[in-house]
Amino acid sequence: MLRLAARRVGLAVPILVGVSIIVFLLMTILPGNAEAGLVPEDATPAQRAAIRDSLGLNDPLPVRYVAWLVEALRGDLGYSLQRRREVADLLVQAWGNTFVLAAVSAVLGITLGLLLGYVAGTRRGTLVDRVVSIVSLAGLSVPSFFVAIILLSIFAGGLKMFPSGGATFDEGPIAAIRSLVLPVASGSLITMAITARVTRAGIVDVLSADFVETLRAKGLSELEVRTHVLRNAISPVLTTSGVQIGALLGGSVLVETIFRWPGMGQLLYTAISSRDLVVVQGATLVIALTFVIINLMVDILQAAVDPRVRGAVA
Amino acid sequence: MTQAVTPVLLHPGFGAGVPVEARARAAELRDEWDAADQNVDAQSFWKETGKRFLANKVGVAAAGVVLLLVVGAVFAPLITSADPLVGQPTDRLQNIGSPGHVLGTDEQGRDVWARVLYGGRLSLLAGFVPTVGAALIGTIIGVTSGMLRGVVGTILMRFMDVLYAFPAILLAIAVGSSLGPGLTNTIIAVTIVFIPPVARVAESATRRVVVQEFIEAAHLSGASGFRVARSQILPNVLNDIIVYSSGLVGVAMIIAASLSFLSLGSPPPVPEWGYMLNSLRGSLYTTPLVTLVPGFFIFLTSVAFNMASDALREAMDSRL
Repeated sequence: MLRLAARRVGLAVPILVGVSIIVFLLMTILPGNAEAGLVPEDATPAQRAAIRDSLGLNDPLPVRYVAWLVEALRGDLGYSLQRRREVADLLVQAWGNTFVLAAVSAVLGITLGLLLGYVAGTRRGTLVDRVVSIVSLAGLSVPSFFVAIILLSIFAGGLKMFPSGGATFDEGPIAAIRSLVLPVASGSLITMAITARVTRAGIVDVLSADFVETLRAKGLSELEVRTHVLRNAISPVLTTSGVQIGALLGGSVLVETIFRWPGMGQLLYTAISSRDLVVVQGATLVIALTFVIINLMVDILQAAVDPRVRGAVA
Repeated sequence: MTQAVTPVLLHPGFGAGVPVEARARAAELRDEWDAADQNVDAQSFWKETGKRFLANKVGVAAAGVVLLLVVGAVFAPLITSADPLVGQPTDRLQNIGSPGHVLGTDEQGRDVWARVLYGGRLSLLAGFVPTVGAALIGTIIGVTSGMLRGVVGTILMRFMDVLYAFPAILLAIAVGSSLGPGLTNTIIAVTIVFIPPVARVAESATRRVVVQEFIEAAHLSGASGFRVARSQILPNVLNDIIVYSSGLVGVAMIIAASLSFLSLGSPPPVPEWGYMLNSLRGSLYTTPLVTLVPGFFIFLTSVAFNMASDALREAMDSRL
């Protein structure tokens, strides 16, 4: 098991390097991108060239990549002239807020999705099953920002039950939870729908397997049989959970913008609108790294739960 | 015994001295057989798939909705006379159902119904074109690396893995903001996001096919690698790719709308659903229902595409 974990970590390293190369290239490969926001619009070509030179932008790409990577590994992701702050400082603060939002949404959405999918899968063909199926198809097709806006118009606009935006962590736990409700709901509804769909499919599949018959014939109680079924159906659910957390992290750009949540997403949004590409680069890198690490953990967890996965890769 | 009787009865030379009723019965049987024969052959895979798809009511309804949306977008000028770009400042923020504006007006007094119709042009295009593009490029990459394996195949697929390591929407946003706003850039960004998953599907399907004997036979008969790919492998992997790609249109729509929501789509005032939703956000508390209109259309299109794709998958799966 430990060897498998080590192997997985080893496999993730080239992916991480690849991710960093892509993030670097995206922001440097197009002419003008690297110095965007650093050079005034009305600069003469000579001034532009001088600035490019002083920033080392005329060096060959591999040299610049290595220099950038070394700085990034030391925690220096550049300086945002527009924000007049170190990018790393901006990111640390925002990352914490996004982490809280994404983690709560993921835990809630996956738990509820598992429950719903289990109920629907074991009561196949009943009304509950149909309702869950329809809701999950809707969840698969609805953009998170649309859910966010609907919730906002109902619960912040019409009913005035929850604040329309912002994170209020320093005004006590009640205010903090109230500010979390709507953003968490917009994220977790979709996670819930997709998890329910996958769980249902898994349960239906496993229930028709021969070993269930054997377990019953052996005289196991229904509860024990269900435990076996759930354990066998959980693998695809774990796989989608990784993807779901990625969707939550990426989707945070939209949800956080709508709820003015001070996280990575909102940071990215303002940086995109002002073409503050150093911040876009830093935020993209950090979100992608988080996603790779989460997928790595999901992989290892999956192998821990499901011996078939272990056998296939070890 | 009865099994042997029927063919004899059907023999053209048969009949002399047989009662009239028996001959009539024989002719009837022959007609039935001919009819059954016609049912068996002359059915291509696509004809069969089309038939199964049409039998699925949900799928047909979903395809109908998609068709309606496309027709609405293409023939927008014939459906509404309102200008989607210029509004009447005195008519700002009219609610749904107000006279002259079925779906109300936006913050600049522009007719929302007209903007939804015209906006469908860019939004549908931005969902459809990247899916087709990614299906083509992904198939080429996947089939190539599935056939070659070795160094080239490994490098191609590892590169796909790296792209796959980004959350889809984040990759689209990063590419979009690197390229700058615009419809073409949105299409490029969304295409890039979908190439890796299609390539993976194509690669694993190719690997399954490439080990079979008829591929070896094709190689031995002197066919070039390209020819084997085109005439032997492609027909066998295409179904997997079509089924998978058709499920991507809905997601592509959502990602494209997200980019336009973040002002990375076509620059205003050209209407596009995602951007409309963002700009109407300011009037969420004055005219909440109008604000929800563009979001509803994104949702509707995406649901319709997903349902149609589910129905297509079921229709193409001959095991069902």
